[in-house]
Amino acid sequence: MTMQHDPELDDILQDDELMHVADLLRQARMTDPPLDDAFRSALRRQLMNRAWGMRERKAPWWSSLFGPNSLAWAGAAVGVVLIATVVVFMAVSPSTGGFNQLVITSPISDQSAVRLEQPILVRFNQAMDHASTEAAVQVAPATTVAFSWNANTLAVQPTSGPLAPNTQYQVTIGPGAKTAAGQQLAAPQTITFVTQPPALPTPSPTPPTPAVTPPPRGVLTAEHLLTSAAGGVSNAQWSPDSSTVYFVSSKGALESVPAAGGNVKVLVPDGVTSVAIAPDGARVAFISGGKIEILDLKMLVITSELTTTPAPINVGWTKEGVEWTAADGVYTAGVDTPVKVASLPTGAAINVISFAPDGAHLAYTQDQSLKVLDVATGKSSSLGLAEAKFLGWSPDGTGVIYSGAQAVVASDVAGKTISTLPAGEPSWSSQDEILLGSDTDLFEVRPDGSGLTRLQEGTYHAPMWAPNGTAFTYSRGGALFTASAPPPAPRSSELGAASLVVNAFMQARKGGQVDKANSYLDDNGKKLYSGSSGVLNLLVTGDPIFSRFYVLTESITGSQPDTAQFVVRIVLAHDKLDVSTYEETLTLVRTQGSNVFLIDRASAGPLLKLGKGPQVVSVEVSTGAVKVTFDSDLMRATVASGLIILDSKGNQVGDAPAYANRTVTFRGLDLKPGATYKLVVLPTVQDVGDINMAAEYDLTFAGPSDSHGSDKEKDQTASPSPQASPGAVRSTPPSS
Amino acid sequence: MSDQPRDDERELVERAKRDPRQFGALYDRHFQQIYRFVYSRVREQTAAEDVTSEIFMKALKAMPRYQDTGRPFAAWLYQISVNAIADRYRTLRPSSPLDDFHDLSIAGPPLEDVAAHRDEIRRIWALVEVLPVQQKTALVLKFQEDMKIEDIAAAMGKTPGAVKLLIHRGVSRLRDEADTLRPAE
Repeated sequence: MTMQHDPELDDILQDDELMHVADLLRQARMTDPPLDDAFRSALRRQLMNRAWGMRERKAPWWSSLFGPNSLAWAGAAVGVVLIATVVVFMAVSPSTGGFNQLVITSPISDQSAVRLEQPILVRFNQAMDHASTEAAVQVAPATTVAFSWNANTLAVQPTSGPLAPNTQYQVTIGPGAKTAAGQQLAAPQTITFVTQPPALPTPSPTPPTPAVTPPPRGVLTAEHLLTSAAGGVSNAQWSPDSSTVYFVSSKGALESVPAAGGNVKVLVPDGVTSVAIAPDGARVAFISGGKIEILDLKMLVITSELTTTPAPINVGWTKEGVEWTAADGVYTAGVDTPVKVASLPTGAAINVISFAPDGAHLAYTQDQSLKVLDVATGKSSSLGLAEAKFLGWSPDGTGVIYSGAQAVVASDVAGKTISTLPAGEPSWSSQDEILLGSDTDLFEVRPDGSGLTRLQEGTYHAPMWAPNGTAFTYSRGGALFTASAPPPAPRSSELGAASLVVNAFMQARKGGQVDKANSYLDDNGKKLYSGSSGVLNLLVTGDPIFSRFYVLTESITGSQPDTAQFVVRIVLAHDKLDVSTYEETLTLVRTQGSNVFLIDRASAGPLLKLGKGPQVVSVEVSTGAVKVTFDSDLMRATVASGLIILDSKGNQVGDAPAYANRTVTFRGLDLKPGATYKLVVLPTVQDVGDINMAAEYDLTFAGPSDSHGSDKEKDQTASPSPQASPGAVRSTPPSS
Repeated sequence: MSDQPRDDERELVERAKRDPRQFGALYDRHFQQIYRFVYSRVREQTAAEDVTSEIFMKALKAMPRYQDTGRPFAAWLYQISVNAIADRYRTLRPSSPLDDFHDLSIAGPPLEDVAAHRDEIRRIWALVEVLPVQQKTALVLKFQEDMKIEDIAAAMGKTPGAVKLLIHRGVSRLRDEADTLRPAE
């Protein structure tokens, strides 16, 4: 028998019998082991997620001075001098023999209540080397970002959508950054800012009033024509910053138009079918002539062209790049050749419809059944009955809307129905509002079916929300229009009144106004916060200081007397940098005949250091769903088993949650009115920087109330459960 | 003389060292062989997936510290693999029968010889499984992964001389224990 000669073995074995054994060993060729393609692609995704986190956390020696993890006061004393400076001057490398001044600014530096739907702009006063500057950018909390440049301005855009709410961001440009001339920065610079609360804003801190008057509804604003291309348009899509609308004309041209109005720009003259804007807004992928092409939207040049077999049908984006479907599966671009990341089911012909916004799911039909494919696992779920028609995704990709019998159905991607909505052409917004257009009306409704409101009479076809959740496009008579819808329905009057008291109380404490703060407490409350015998401190004195607060959850919990419960998070800072936080649960009571809520009961949770892993920054409880938003991008694999909801008996309710864009969503819940539930976030939850939650986080909340306010299903109670937190429970806030 | 595949690999490695997001290209290139090697050692799909995940996660994490010593990048991955599998072996022993994995459909000899020859191969690989771990690893990397001695040495953290010794001892022991084996005519 002839074997390929191996001189190394001749040298080692030097014996016929041994060589024979060696031949036998070499003759057993390996067959391919059993391999799950879904595992291969899931591992790749996991690696890429971690790689993004590593890149952001690429921490040179200086980072320890600035990371909140190790904000040793001595180090911070040096670092803060730099951080606090909005306009900073940096000496470039002394080796150049001279000093140039490099000025870094940001329009949001040191600002609070920064809008969530915008990139972080970092402006340099001279041309920079893009690669080294991007590599030197570090974002805390751990956030996967994409970069784009406009002249000397770097836009840092989280790939998971808007910025996290209620979060202090620190964006550091490390000394690895170089100017275009090759000069290396001598010292790191950090831009710090705090984001605004999520969709439902906290009322302004004004003195309490009996009730909040709902703003007028039913009026669209800024309604204007974008284009009236002959034959109509299709594939309308918004840029991530909501400034531009892209669409495909009847001739197959890819065109764009400013949302504010203006000239239509032809980007690709013809032949375009499927279109997808990259999450960073800098590129668009489309299919033309059987090829996938990627167009740089700034340079307006095709930067990549992929010829694939089988031919591509639909194109989409994941965090890692472009993905597409072909007749037999889902592919991404590999190193040399496309990599198949999931197979489509075999059997009857498949009609692929749409990728979810996060690229994690794919809608298709087979045998007249509508199905959703989980790209990571390769498993499909059926939606609705036969001949259900796909109508759209939720912006985070965890929800889907499709047509049922005479109605629109909102469900999760596993096919579990969330609600049944009136018939119409839907679009699901980032503010969790669904537009329903038709020949005769435009309605707005929440995904749980509540708050149905007619916005306007008239023809509104194919509405499409902008990412900012206020503007939308629609078509009428073949022309494309845009308009802005009013904000979501107001909170119940009771909750509004209680919110104003809480905000005024917290503002007074933050400002050191003892008498004013006391005016929002009843006798019980005053005892709790009394300096001598109370268990809570009214004022936070010393260092770190009371920097800011935000309402984590709020709800009406009872009547006769009206009772409301708020969980308020108090953030303590040292030299403008958030260093720790604790929560207070406030119970407010409005006695019969009175218009004013007063704080009757209060308790404080443990003090938590910030910068020790991901933090929950927002919890929204609504009918059938609980949404938990984190400040960091999470390792997806740690989410499913890391968050659970328990009922009062300690039994788990609901299925494993879905995760997208920093938000973990439990859907399909059946929360009982008034029943107590507990959200548990385990320390196993990990951000993309490999950092675990510092400790278990617990939040107790009540099931949907059925007796309060028009918005009763929207607002629920929640309060932290301090005894569940590890370590000693802190009953008083830190005072110095 | 330039070695284009090695140059390409060096370029990919350098890129991944500078920017971990580029590691995906190395993953695409080496996943199959590492997974196959791991599977051949642990013989169970779930365990192979666990170990393969661990290997690539470790590799990604260690990427910034990777030093090009002139050996193929795969040798470094095998080195991580050998250690990961060794860790795994402390609690797990492969249990699946060998012929689940090794293809014994040998081309060449007359049909009447094939059955006996298959049996020889099956027996010899079964004997490999009971060799001391170091000998077994060296034989697998040499005969199954077709690696060069120096690369095996890098993967196992030994000198080339030590690897040669392991292979010699391993093959000698196989010969001694399979005393019915005789050179094929």
